[in-house]
Amino acid sequence: MSSVVPSYEGRDPGLQPERTALSWSRTALAIAVNALLVLRSGFVSDQPALAVLGVLLFAAAAAAAAYGVVRARELGHEGGVVMPSAWPLLAVAAVVLLAAVGGVASIVVEAGR
Amino acid sequence: MAQPRWRSEGEDPDYRFTLANERTFLAWIRTALALLAGGVLLFEFASTIGPRVLVVVLAVGLAVVAAVLGGLSYVRWRANEIAMRHGRALPYSIAVPVLAAVALLGAATIAVMILLG
Repeated sequence: MSSVVPSYEGRDPGLQPERTALSWSRTALAIAVNALLVLRSGFVSDQPALAVLGVLLFAAAAAAAAYGVVRARELGHEGGVVMPSAWPLLAVAAVVLLAAVGGVASIVVEAGR
Repeated sequence: MAQPRWRSEGEDPDYRFTLANERTFLAWIRTALALLAGGVLLFEFASTIGPRVLVVVLAVGLAVVAAVLGGLSYVRWRANEIAMRHGRALPYSIAVPVLAAVALLGAATIAVMILLG
Protein backbone atom coordinates (compact mmCIF):
# COMPACT_ATOMS: atom_id res chain seq x y z
CA MET A 1 0.00 0.00 0.00
CA SER A 2 2.93 2.35 0.46
CA SER A 3 2.94 3.24 -3.22
CA VAL A 4 -0.69 4.36 -2.90
CA VAL A 5 0.13 6.96 -0.27
CA PRO A 6 1.86 9.75 -2.19
CA SER A 7 4.32 12.18 -0.73
CA TYR A 8 2.90 15.66 -0.46
CA GLU A 9 6.03 17.56 0.45
CA GLY A 10 6.69 20.70 -1.45
CA ARG A 11 3.20 21.07 -2.75
CA ASP A 12 0.80 22.12 -0.07
CA PRO A 13 1.20 22.35 3.70
CA GLY A 14 -2.62 22.21 3.91
CA LEU A 15 -2.63 18.66 2.58
CA GLN A 16 -5.37 19.50 0.11
CA PRO A 17 -4.57 16.50 -2.11
CA GLU A 18 -4.82 14.15 0.85
CA ARG A 19 -8.14 15.62 1.96
CA THR A 20 -9.47 15.33 -1.57
CA ALA A 21 -8.48 11.67 -1.84
CA LEU A 22 -9.99 10.97 1.59
CA SER A 23 -13.14 12.72 0.48
CA TRP A 24 -13.49 10.15 -2.31
CA SER A 25 -13.00 7.32 0.17
CA ARG A 26 -15.71 8.73 2.46
CA THR A 27 -18.05 9.06 -0.48
CA ALA A 28 -17.37 5.44 -1.45
CA LEU A 29 -18.27 4.39 2.10
CA ALA A 30 -21.49 6.42 1.99
CA ILE A 31 -22.46 4.68 -1.26
CA ALA A 32 -21.65 1.30 0.32
CA VAL A 33 -23.93 2.07 3.29
CA ASN A 34 -26.77 2.85 0.91
CA ALA A 35 -25.97 -0.32 -1.05
CA LEU A 36 -26.36 -2.35 2.15
CA LEU A 37 -29.66 -0.66 2.97
CA VAL A 38 -31.04 -1.18 -0.53
CA LEU A 39 -29.87 -4.81 -0.59
CA ARG A 40 -31.52 -5.45 2.77
CA SER A 41 -34.76 -3.78 1.67
CA GLY A 42 -34.75 -5.91 -1.45
CA PHE A 43 -34.49 -9.15 0.53
CA VAL A 44 -36.87 -8.17 3.34
CA SER A 45 -39.61 -6.85 1.06
CA ASP A 46 -39.00 -9.54 -1.58
CA GLN A 47 -38.21 -7.12 -4.43
CA PRO A 48 -35.52 -8.74 -6.61
CA ALA A 49 -35.04 -5.54 -8.64
CA LEU A 50 -34.06 -3.76 -5.45
CA ALA A 51 -31.51 -6.45 -4.58
CA VAL A 52 -29.99 -6.02 -8.05
CA LEU A 53 -29.81 -2.26 -7.45
CA GLY A 54 -28.02 -2.98 -4.18
CA VAL A 55 -25.39 -5.06 -5.96
CA LEU A 56 -24.96 -2.30 -8.58
CA LEU A 57 -24.49 0.25 -5.80
CA PHE A 58 -21.80 -1.93 -4.24
CA ALA A 59 -20.02 -1.94 -7.59
CA ALA A 60 -20.36 1.86 -7.71
CA ALA A 61 -18.89 2.11 -4.21
CA ALA A 62 -15.93 -0.01 -5.29
CA ALA A 63 -15.47 2.19 -8.37
CA ALA A 64 -15.54 5.36 -6.26
CA ALA A 65 -12.96 3.90 -3.87
CA ALA A 66 -10.76 2.93 -6.81
CA TYR A 67 -11.04 6.42 -8.27
CA GLY A 68 -10.00 7.79 -4.86
CA VAL A 69 -6.76 5.81 -5.20
CA VAL A 70 -6.29 7.08 -8.76
CA ARG A 71 -6.86 10.66 -7.55
CA ALA A 72 -4.36 10.23 -4.73
CA ARG A 73 -1.77 9.13 -7.27
CA GLU A 74 -2.59 11.93 -9.70
CA LEU A 75 -2.28 14.55 -6.98
CA GLY A 76 0.65 12.91 -5.28
CA HIS A 77 3.42 14.25 -7.42
CA GLU A 78 4.44 17.68 -8.55
CA GLY A 79 2.97 18.55 -11.91
CA GLY A 80 0.40 15.79 -11.76
CA VAL A 81 -3.15 16.14 -12.99
CA VAL A 82 -5.04 18.55 -10.76
CA MET A 83 -8.48 18.95 -12.24
CA PRO A 84 -10.63 15.85 -11.99
CA SER A 85 -12.03 14.43 -15.19
CA ALA A 86 -15.66 15.51 -15.50
CA TRP A 87 -16.89 11.96 -16.12
CA PRO A 88 -16.29 10.36 -12.71
CA LEU A 89 -18.14 13.27 -11.09
CA LEU A 90 -21.00 12.97 -13.52
CA ALA A 91 -21.09 9.22 -12.86
CA VAL A 92 -21.23 9.71 -9.09
CA ALA A 93 -24.09 12.20 -9.43
CA ALA A 94 -25.89 9.73 -11.71
CA VAL A 95 -25.42 6.94 -9.15
CA VAL A 96 -27.05 9.09 -6.46
CA LEU A 97 -29.94 9.88 -8.81
CA LEU A 98 -30.37 6.20 -9.70
CA ALA A 99 -30.26 5.14 -6.06
CA ALA A 100 -32.81 7.79 -5.09
CA VAL A 101 -35.18 6.82 -7.91
CA GLY A 102 -34.81 3.17 -6.88
CA GLY A 103 -35.54 4.13 -3.28
CA VAL A 104 -38.70 6.03 -4.21
CA ALA A 105 -39.89 3.18 -6.43
CA SER A 106 -39.32 0.58 -3.73
CA ILE A 107 -41.12 2.63 -1.08
CA VAL A 108 -44.09 3.23 -3.36
CA VAL A 109 -44.26 -0.48 -4.32
CA GLU A 110 -43.93 -1.65 -0.73
CA ALA A 111 -46.40 0.90 0.63
CA GLY A 112 -48.95 -0.12 -1.99
CA ARG A 113 -48.99 -3.75 -0.86
CA MET B 1 -12.14 10.49 -22.77
CA ALA B 2 -12.98 13.83 -24.31
CA GLN B 3 -13.74 16.51 -21.77
CA PRO B 4 -16.54 19.11 -21.94
CA ARG B 5 -15.62 22.25 -23.85
CA TRP B 6 -16.00 24.62 -20.88
CA ARG B 7 -12.91 23.05 -19.35
CA SER B 8 -10.67 24.80 -21.86
CA GLU B 9 -12.27 28.23 -21.35
CA GLY B 10 -10.60 30.96 -19.35
CA GLU B 11 -7.59 30.22 -17.16
CA ASP B 12 -6.82 27.33 -14.84
CA PRO B 13 -7.61 28.50 -11.30
CA ASP B 14 -5.30 27.92 -8.33
CA TYR B 15 -5.27 24.15 -7.98
CA ARG B 16 -6.28 24.42 -4.30
CA PHE B 17 -9.57 26.01 -5.34
CA THR B 18 -10.15 23.30 -7.91
CA LEU B 19 -9.60 20.66 -5.25
CA ALA B 20 -11.82 22.49 -2.77
CA ASN B 21 -14.56 22.58 -5.39
CA GLU B 22 -14.16 18.83 -5.93
CA ARG B 23 -14.45 18.21 -2.20
CA THR B 24 -17.50 20.43 -1.97
CA PHE B 25 -19.11 18.39 -4.73
CA LEU B 26 -18.36 15.18 -2.85
CA ALA B 27 -19.71 16.67 0.39
CA TRP B 28 -23.02 17.41 -1.35
CA ILE B 29 -23.06 13.88 -2.76
CA ARG B 30 -22.61 12.47 0.73
CA THR B 31 -25.36 14.75 2.03
CA ALA B 32 -27.70 13.42 -0.63
CA LEU B 33 -26.72 9.83 0.24
CA ALA B 34 -27.34 10.51 3.94
CA LEU B 35 -30.82 11.89 3.19
CA LEU B 36 -31.57 8.86 1.03
CA ALA B 37 -30.43 6.47 3.75
CA GLY B 38 -32.55 8.44 6.24
CA GLY B 39 -35.62 8.08 4.05
CA VAL B 40 -35.16 4.35 3.54
CA LEU B 41 -34.48 3.76 7.25
CA LEU B 42 -37.51 5.84 8.23
CA PHE B 43 -39.74 3.80 5.95
CA GLU B 44 -38.37 0.47 7.14
CA PHE B 45 -38.08 1.00 10.86
CA ALA B 46 -40.64 3.67 11.81
CA SER B 47 -43.54 1.21 11.93
CA THR B 48 -44.68 2.27 15.39
CA ILE B 49 -44.92 6.04 14.97
CA GLY B 50 -47.41 8.40 13.43
CA PRO B 51 -49.92 7.84 10.65
CA ARG B 52 -48.33 5.47 8.12
CA VAL B 53 -49.25 7.79 5.27
CA LEU B 54 -47.19 10.59 6.79
CA VAL B 55 -44.20 8.30 7.26
CA VAL B 56 -44.39 7.20 3.62
CA VAL B 57 -44.72 10.79 2.40
CA LEU B 58 -41.73 11.85 4.49
CA ALA B 59 -39.62 8.91 3.30
CA VAL B 60 -40.45 9.56 -0.35
CA GLY B 61 -39.84 13.29 0.19
CA LEU B 62 -36.37 12.64 1.63
CA ALA B 63 -35.50 10.37 -1.32
CA VAL B 64 -36.74 12.98 -3.81
CA VAL B 65 -34.67 15.70 -2.12
CA ALA B 66 -31.69 13.33 -2.30
CA ALA B 67 -32.24 12.91 -6.04
CA VAL B 68 -32.44 16.69 -6.56
CA LEU B 69 -29.30 17.31 -4.49
CA GLY B 70 -27.48 14.59 -6.40
CA GLY B 71 -28.24 16.25 -9.71
CA LEU B 72 -27.64 19.74 -8.36
CA SER B 73 -24.21 18.81 -6.99
CA TYR B 74 -22.81 18.25 -10.47
CA VAL B 75 -24.47 21.36 -11.89
CA ARG B 76 -23.03 23.48 -9.08
CA TRP B 77 -19.55 21.93 -9.37
CA ARG B 78 -19.56 22.77 -13.06
CA ALA B 79 -20.86 26.32 -12.50
CA ASN B 80 -18.25 26.97 -9.79
CA GLU B 81 -15.47 25.65 -12.00
CA ILE B 82 -16.55 27.87 -14.91
CA ALA B 83 -16.87 30.92 -12.64
CA MET B 84 -13.37 30.33 -11.28
CA ARG B 85 -11.93 29.90 -14.76
CA HIS B 86 -13.29 33.31 -15.73
CA GLY B 87 -12.44 35.00 -12.44
CA ARG B 88 -16.08 35.69 -11.69
CA ALA B 89 -17.85 35.49 -8.34
CA LEU B 90 -19.13 32.04 -7.44
CA PRO B 91 -22.81 31.65 -8.32
CA TYR B 92 -25.26 31.84 -5.44
CA SER B 93 -27.32 28.77 -4.77
CA ILE B 94 -30.48 28.30 -2.77
CA ALA B 95 -29.44 24.71 -2.03
CA VAL B 96 -28.14 25.53 1.45
CA PRO B 97 -31.22 27.33 2.85
CA VAL B 98 -33.54 24.80 1.17
CA LEU B 99 -31.61 21.89 2.65
CA ALA B 100 -31.70 23.52 6.09
CA ALA B 101 -35.47 24.02 5.80
CA VAL B 102 -35.99 20.41 4.69
CA ALA B 103 -33.88 19.06 7.57
CA LEU B 104 -35.69 21.27 10.10
CA LEU B 105 -39.18 20.40 8.85
CA GLY B 106 -38.41 16.70 8.55
CA ALA B 107 -36.87 16.43 11.99
CA ALA B 108 -39.66 18.46 13.60
CA THR B 109 -42.34 16.29 11.96
CA ILE B 110 -40.67 13.07 13.09
CA ALA B 111 -40.23 14.46 16.61
CA VAL B 112 -43.93 15.35 16.82
CA MET B 113 -44.91 11.91 15.52
CA ILE B 114 -42.74 10.21 18.14
CA LEU B 115 -44.11 12.38 20.95
CA LEU B 116 -47.73 11.82 19.95
CA GLY B 117 -47.24 8.17 19.08
